[in-house]
Amino acid sequence: MTHIDQVPTPGAPLPVEIGVKAGAARTNPFARVFDELVRFAQSRSLFMLHYCTGCGAVELPPAMTSRFDMERLGIQPMVSPRQADILLITGYVSVKTLKRVILTYEQMNSPKYVIGICSCTVNGGMYWQSYATAKKLNDYMPVDIYIAGCMPRPEAVIEGLRGLIENIRTGRADAWKDYYRRYDYYLGNQQRLFGADWQTSTDVIAEARHYDLFGPATLGAHTALLEQHQRPLEALEMRIEIPELMRRRSRSDQDGTAQ
Amino acid sequence: MRPENYEAQRQPPSYDYELNIGPNHPGIEGNYAFKLRLNGDRVIAGRADAGYLHRGFEKLMEGRLWIQNLAITPRICVPDPVPMEVSYCLAVEDLCGLVVPERAQWLRVMQLELSRIAAHLFIFGGHAATTGMYTPMFWGIADRDLILDLFEEMTGGRVYHIYNIPGGVRRDLPDGFGERVTNTLDYLESRLPDYDNLLFTNQVFVHRARGCGPISQQQALEWGVTGPNLRATGLKFDVRRDDPYLVYDQLEFEIPTEAPGDAWARALVRRREIKESIRIIRQVVARLPTLAGPIRCPIPNPLAWNVPAGSTYTRVESSKGELAWYVVSDGGERPYRTHVRGPSQMHAVQVLEQLAIGCRIEDVAQIMFSLDACPPEVDR
Ligand code: SF4
Repeated sequence: MTHIDQVPTPGAPLPVEIGVKAGAARTNPFARVFDELVRFAQSRSLFMLHYCTGCGAVELPPAMTSRFDMERLGIQPMVSPRQADILLITGYVSVKTLKRVILTYEQMNSPKYVIGICSCTVNGGMYWQSYATAKKLNDYMPVDIYIAGCMPRPEAVIEGLRGLIENIRTGRADAWKDYYRRYDYYLGNQQRLFGADWQTSTDVIAEARHYDLFGPATLGAHTALLEQHQRPLEALEMRIEIPELMRRRSRSDQDGTAQ
Repeated sequence: MRPENYEAQRQPPSYDYELNIGPNHPGIEGNYAFKLRLNGDRVIAGRADAGYLHRGFEKLMEGRLWIQNLAITPRICVPDPVPMEVSYCLAVEDLCGLVVPERAQWLRVMQLELSRIAAHLFIFGGHAATTGMYTPMFWGIADRDLILDLFEEMTGGRVYHIYNIPGGVRRDLPDGFGERVTNTLDYLESRLPDYDNLLFTNQVFVHRARGCGPISQQQALEWGVTGPNLRATGLKFDVRRDDPYLVYDQLEFEIPTEAPGDAWARALVRRREIKESIRIIRQVVARLPTLAGPIRCPIPNPLAWNVPAGSTYTRVESSKGELAWYVVSDGGERPYRTHVRGPSQMHAVQVLEQLAIGCRIEDVAQIMFSLDACPPEVDR
């Protein structure tokens, strides 16, 4: 157990390295068998963060409930990003949503998988000329599987999920590593959309070191900008103007509608 | 955030706090957020935070041909897309002076009412889930799928079926379709008592929903509430009856109303509307064989179609409330300006903010679902 005095100060390296390093040399002859077992277990118990970003979300309730029944594949919806394995992007992402999607993606624990449902995530779909939507999802985060269609039927969604399961079992679903290896590229695209002072509360570079995925393309011109703009997180402000709301409320009550 | 980067901020001691619900939250309907200021578990104030689904429809439509716009109109409201396409077609027909053949009008009514049932089944499942009952949700979604199957057969699409075009509908019914509709309706009707037992007379639901988020009739009129939410305050207003479009004036149906105006009344109005919609579709099925004739009138070459200059406002009754298009044409190939008046904008923003004040935190989700607000349509 960690004593309170041992909690590291900000910036200091973690005292204990937790987890298996992804690139570490495996000397144990049973490691391969063990890895396969772990991957099999991972592929059969997936929790899916169901963030309805666009209209494709309306085909998920049928896919999740009794008729098409996603649970028989071991996939269940999960409400918190920390415990979720799959991030499902169900349709077009507006710029405002994309910020939240990136925050959510960075909060998820690795290994994590992203599925882009709907044509809108592939190339903008029918909103190709819209001023408000982000066109290609894999400019902003690595995507494991795309399910095209406008909108894809529940069968297609299930088929896509089965493809993901197969990829996880055979160890091919490793798009999440790309985010750490080429963080500069993704961050650059994000900055182009959200402005140069865009930053998230996750320390992706430290995580890249932690997973041993730190590569030559992790740092670059865009992450250098990040250093300049690194500012402490602001305390939550109360932004709801109560007097105005109460005034509106009392006005409608005075008009003889008190309940 | 990594824990070592976190520094707690000192705040003055207080029971007040602010809570964000959404956009990624199971208690919120779709991609929508609601900020609450709370004292203990009482809501002091709420602020709706929309815009997560904004695509800029009104601008997009100015850049596309009249016929191309048909493809994007249903995307405005996802659970109930049919009224969108129908009212847009009505607007274009009004501008061009097209006369829609009678058979097409009846087919449109059938599609509209099927869509209304599907949307109501979807939403009361969601409403039940916010009170902790998940079985009605599973049942509602499964039964809704039967209607989607009918849609697939009729139009080719499960959720979005661009079935209407200005001047009529795209294709006629397949053989034996009326019989299959009747079978599905029989089944749905036989399920209604089950729903009553499971949900509408269930004490858990009744106690949670009664008195939750009440709207008085005058408030409803001031705030621009329409549809089932307005009828739940006792006012008998329905565009289908008061400003009939298509062939609704030839159909027999009731307008269900309830007096209390709370979440329970709103759910009950929807429950009774399902029954009325079934009744309407039965009349359409009985009437269709007697109507031979074309299903659309000839239109000019759609790729070079100059709609005469003018403006029009057409409204229909969707499952959420009154839905209308205001379309302006300057005589060109593309609309000059379009505007959609959606019911959910009022319900999810003004009304929800007002109703949240003073309620308990666990009722916020229920109020939102009982208002049947549709976030994609709020943002457009
Ligand atoms: S591809 Fe079609 S169904 Fe999917 S989000 Fe885009 S418009 Fe909606």
